Parts: sequence; structure tokens; C-alpha cells
Amino acid sequence: MTPNMFFLLVSILFSIGLVGIISRRNLFVIYMSIELMLSSVNLLLATLSKLLGDANGSVMALLLIAVIAAEAALFLAMITHLYRQSRTLDSDHYKKLSKVK
Amino acid sequence: MLEISIFSILALFMIGGALAMILNKQTLFSAFGFLLAMIALGGLFALLDSRFLAISQIMVAVGGVVVLSMLTILTVNAKEEALPDEPNKFKWVFFTSLLVLPFTLLLYKVLSTLPDYFTKGDSIDSKLIGKLLFSEWVLPFEIVSILLLAAMLGAIIIARDKVVYKGDKS
Repeated sequence: MTPNMFFLLVSILFSIGLVGIISRRNLFVIYMSIELMLSSVNLLLATLSKLLGDANGSVMALLLIAVIAAEAALFLAMITHLYRQSRTLDSDHYKKLSKVK
Repeated sequence: MLEISIFSILALFMIGGALAMILNKQTLFSAFGFLLAMIALGGLFALLDSRFLAISQIMVAVGGVVVLSMLTILTVNAKEEALPDEPNKFKWVFFTSLLVLPFTLLLYKVLSTLPDYFTKGDSIDSKLIGKLLFSEWVLPFEIVSILLLAAMLGAIIIARDKVVYKGDKS
């Protein structure tokens, strides 16, 4: 078991998350792709922590798990709110969020 | 040898879950793929000898985040016509993968310049993490607690339905 296997897995997972964000339009899938990217960074932190024999990386990963939980709460609340307003999960429908009036 | 096979199984589960997550049309099936990926990530943390991280991943990410997402998906209960119409979904995913592939290779090349063996250190146990968390990392820890409080309040305020008070106006 070498660190390179973990690094390869981290790269693949981050890219899958990126592909999900770019190519899908379902709001839930976009949210889960962001979570996947954050989790891959988490795995990278844990791997580096093991590689260098330093527990600081694990503490950072622990704090990142808390950030992921906060992000999940806010994102899910936002999706609920947006769905209640216009009854669709299509992210293209929310272009109006970017328009400045 | 045993470690490599466990790693392969977990990596397979994780990549399979992630692919199922971005390829399914039904949102709940995507959430199941996400669940699989998060459980496998907990296993990978355990394989890296950081037990505390593995347990907190299972407790927070699987028990909290994924269950909350599934609950939200089931509560929202989007009908077929509420889902986005994506006729060329696989084409989009394919071309985006081609676009992202050089980035993946670059990321892997950059990361693999690091030393390719693990130190023979002890497992990172909860005692060490607790000591670090309350000495060097105490300020980020407190900031995270405020962040969680703010996120909770924000989530309540954003998702709250408009409350209409009826009554003593007359």
C-alpha cells in the first residue's frame, strides 16, 4: 500500500466531482458533487497526515468535516427554499439569481 | 497484500458510488451512490490508521449529512417534470471528462512527487488529536463552533415557511 494509490484515488474523485458540477443541472447532484470534492480533499489531508507522521493534518480534516456539515445544512435549506418558490430542481431556471436589477 | 485488496475494494466502491451519483437521473439513487462513497471513505480513513477520523466520518458525514440529504430529497418529493430535462446527459459527461482529464493527470503528477512510502509512525489516536485540537488549533475550533451556529440559524431562516399570524387584529 503506497501513498501514490491514495493520490490517484484523490485525483479521480476530485475530477468526478468537477465533472458532476459542470455537466449536470440537478441542484441535488451539484450539491453532492461539491461534497465529494470536499471529501476528496479530506482524504488527501488524512493521507498526508499519515505520510508525514504528523497529526496536524488529521485535525484539519476533522475541522473540514465540520465545515462540510455546515455547508450541507445551508445548501439543503437553499434548495428547499428555491424549490418551494418555483417548483423545479433545474439549475438553469435560477439564472435570475445572477441578474442585477 | 491484504491491505492492497481492502484498498482496491474500498476504492472500487468509492468510484462506483461517485459515478452512480453523477449519472443517475433519479435524485434518490444519486443519494444512494453518495452514501456508498461516504461509507467507503470512512473505511479508507480506517485504513490510514486514523481511527478518530474514520469514526467521525461515519457519524457526521454518513449519519448526519447523507441522511439529511435523503430526508430533504424525500420531503421535496420532486415529480418527474420538476427534474431538469437533460437529453444529452451522457454526451455532456463524456466531453467534460475529456476536458477535466489533463487536470486530473496534472494533479496526480504533482501529488506523486511526494515521497512514495509511509512513515512507520504510530496510528493517529484520539488522544493526540484532542491535545492538538485544544492547544494549537483552538482558535479554528472555536471559529468552527460559531460557523456551525451561524449555519444552523441561517438554515432555519432560509428554509422557514412564511408564518401567517391570524387573530387579534380586529
